[in-house]
Amino acid sequence: MIADFFTSTWLLWVLLSVAGFLFWRSRSSKYFLYVFNRYLLALMTLLIVSGIVFSLMEVLPGDCAEKYIAYKSSQGEMITQADIAAERSRMGLDRSLIVRWSSWITDLTLRGDLGFSCAKRQSVNIALGDRFWMSFGFCIAGLLFAYLIAVPFGILSAYMINKPWLDKNPKYNKKQRWINSIGLSFNKVLDLKLRMISYLGLALPNFLLALSIILLYVFAGEPVPTGLFSDQWSAEPWFAVSGFQYGKLTDFLSHIWLPIFVIGWAATALQLQTVRALVVDESNKLYVDAARARGVDGMSLWVGYPVRHSISPLFNSIGFDFQRIFNDLPIVAIVIGMTDSAALLIEALAMTNDQEMAAAILFLVALVVISMNFITDIVLAAVDPRVRNSVLG
Amino acid sequence: MISSVLARFGPKVKKSQDESYYTAGQLALIKARFMRKTSGVVAGWVLASIIMVSFFAPFFAPIDPTIRGADTNYQRGAPQAFYFWDEQGISLRPFTYTYSKDKPKIDFMALAGSGGLAALDALTSSGALSSSAQNKYNIDEQQRRYVQFFVKGWEYSLIDFSIAGLNLDLRWDRHLFGVEQGEIHLMGTDQDGKDVFSRTLHAVWITVSIAVVALIVKLFTSLLVGGISGYFGGRVDAVLMSFTEAVRVIPSIPVYLACAVALSSMDLTAVQRYFAIAVVIGALDFATLGRRLRTHILTERNQDYVLAAQLCGSSSWRIIWRHLIPSFSSYIIVDTLINFPYVILAETSLSFLGLGLTEPVNSLGVLLQKAQDPDIQQNMIWQFFPVLVFVVLIMAFVFVGDALRDAADPYSEKK
Repeated sequence: MIADFFTSTWLLWVLLSVAGFLFWRSRSSKYFLYVFNRYLLALMTLLIVSGIVFSLMEVLPGDCAEKYIAYKSSQGEMITQADIAAERSRMGLDRSLIVRWSSWITDLTLRGDLGFSCAKRQSVNIALGDRFWMSFGFCIAGLLFAYLIAVPFGILSAYMINKPWLDKNPKYNKKQRWINSIGLSFNKVLDLKLRMISYLGLALPNFLLALSIILLYVFAGEPVPTGLFSDQWSAEPWFAVSGFQYGKLTDFLSHIWLPIFVIGWAATALQLQTVRALVVDESNKLYVDAARARGVDGMSLWVGYPVRHSISPLFNSIGFDFQRIFNDLPIVAIVIGMTDSAALLIEALAMTNDQEMAAAILFLVALVVISMNFITDIVLAAVDPRVRNSVLG
Repeated sequence: MISSVLARFGPKVKKSQDESYYTAGQLALIKARFMRKTSGVVAGWVLASIIMVSFFAPFFAPIDPTIRGADTNYQRGAPQAFYFWDEQGISLRPFTYTYSKDKPKIDFMALAGSGGLAALDALTSSGALSSSAQNKYNIDEQQRRYVQFFVKGWEYSLIDFSIAGLNLDLRWDRHLFGVEQGEIHLMGTDQDGKDVFSRTLHAVWITVSIAVVALIVKLFTSLLVGGISGYFGGRVDAVLMSFTEAVRVIPSIPVYLACAVALSSMDLTAVQRYFAIAVVIGALDFATLGRRLRTHILTERNQDYVLAAQLCGSSSWRIIWRHLIPSFSSYIIVDTLINFPYVILAETSLSFLGLGLTEPVNSLGVLLQKAQDPDIQQNMIWQFFPVLVFVVLIMAFVFVGDALRDAADPYSEKK
């Protein structure tokens, strides 16, 4: 009986025990006081998010009772207005917004229950299932793609324009300075090219990029790689009698690059700009000059000082990058024909007006972003001495 | 770029250190720095001309972009190019050719005679009934149609100054160019026979004006939230900032979508809907600017001039509005301009999903939506012209915004 109570309310106990642990540590450590405060702040933000999302969903036309009745009437039953009212009071839809919101919150924190999807006629947890993890995987892959391209090339771009000492350095004679300045101009052209690419990334929205790629396939007369599997593999299970099906895996991989590339594209462009600006900003600071005066030179100067210091703001923005990528995911999902939670979100919002489903997806995304922000904040405070000093006083 | 290379090799010009540099105001300095950046200036001219053309779109467009101006004789028609010469000789006045619609040949006698499903089957599989076969055009290269300038056409309102009963609607019926008889379709027509070129010109203005409305709304919300939160600090600040944080965390496009769906259930006219969407996009986008303003005001509110104003008996509202916000104005202006393309992208994505503006309205999002149609992708590639204009417009905005950001940064000269 008691074990049942604990297993059904496990989420609450996890949240409380984390809070308790942090509170216990915070009495002896300044760092844990900061973490404890951040934790409480994150929980409060989550509460506000759920309130916003819930009240936003209220403005969607129609409610669950009407949909259920419509479903029943399509089965051939005669329905009156009184039936709708009775159904509504059975589902608790006649209670006030605050009451329903608090019951949604308690369901969520006590049992991890996200509600009941009216359009799918099953619990949101089951209807969502691994689709949310699929979207999560897409976003993480897009994020990785963006960072793996943007960080090195952004640093390269900043490195190329940021060698003003080369043609002012007194150790070179006049002829060598001329040669250096030609090299500098060449570098500036390369930098300009990189910036052009990133501008194009900002100007060409994801759905247009996806459309152009599809258009190229149409012109080439190839089958368009939409969806996640081609027709012959979509019905096959991952594990057949003969063991794991590698054909399905290669088919999956040959389809998956398109969404990841398209999703990562805009993020890459934005990150390229950000990294470049950060590194350029840092490389003009006095401590770089001081290090140069101490005799640190070349790559060790570059990597050790400006680049190292511009990584932490970048790391800090991972949560919002994730949010920006998920923001674009629904439209891309429509263009490419994916079936992940972003497509489900669009379906719930625009077609079936499935409030609980849409609220659950939005809440989950906010949850991921908030926890990413929380984790990056506490990791940065532990690792980066500048952040540590500023937040811990 | 080129000028900087030339300056490196050219004769050294001594910079004249005259007085005007030191007495120049903030805006003059920004302008001077902006003018030095070639890419920004070029993009600025491109942007200005696109917006000018789209503002006077009825004058520059040869054909009415609404269904009234639809050319039923030239549906799904390909673009018509200007020619200056052909086999018959050279002409100084550009011209195009006459076209006539092909009547699809369907052998009704065969259908009626031998009868049966076999003939019907053969007809449907021959493709004669498909829309591209139904709209075949013969171009008559013998008959030229000369392009004329300042032709009379449909009447339109050039600028509408009428406010509250005053009737100051300037109407005109001249258009920049047209042909003697019939119509000219520079970028072809869509399936209703509406001219793609004219629609695009009109669409740019609608999209830009939505962005303007959205940015004004956004400016007011973020000034309000940032100003109050920064000036009062403490508990007010904590509440407002956690609310801002919560808004920032939720992905915005689904939120716009929910609002658009809610709007679509209301009974709104096209114009009301258009403003409602702009207001929704603007009102939900306050987080970033609001936070920056709040940080600025938090540091600024302990300055002496604020204390002086308080001692003089100024109200908090007046101090925020007249003293604190103007001290941040250049950043606010630049940030607003930089956000232009993103607001346009938000509107376009909404319309692309079919939930922003919808078909009879000419907006870039509505026109881009068509690019998704496989039929258009394969048979009417000229309908991708709006996509091109869109990319150029956004690029121009991004370049101008970038140059402006560099120009507004007082430390940028050191780089």
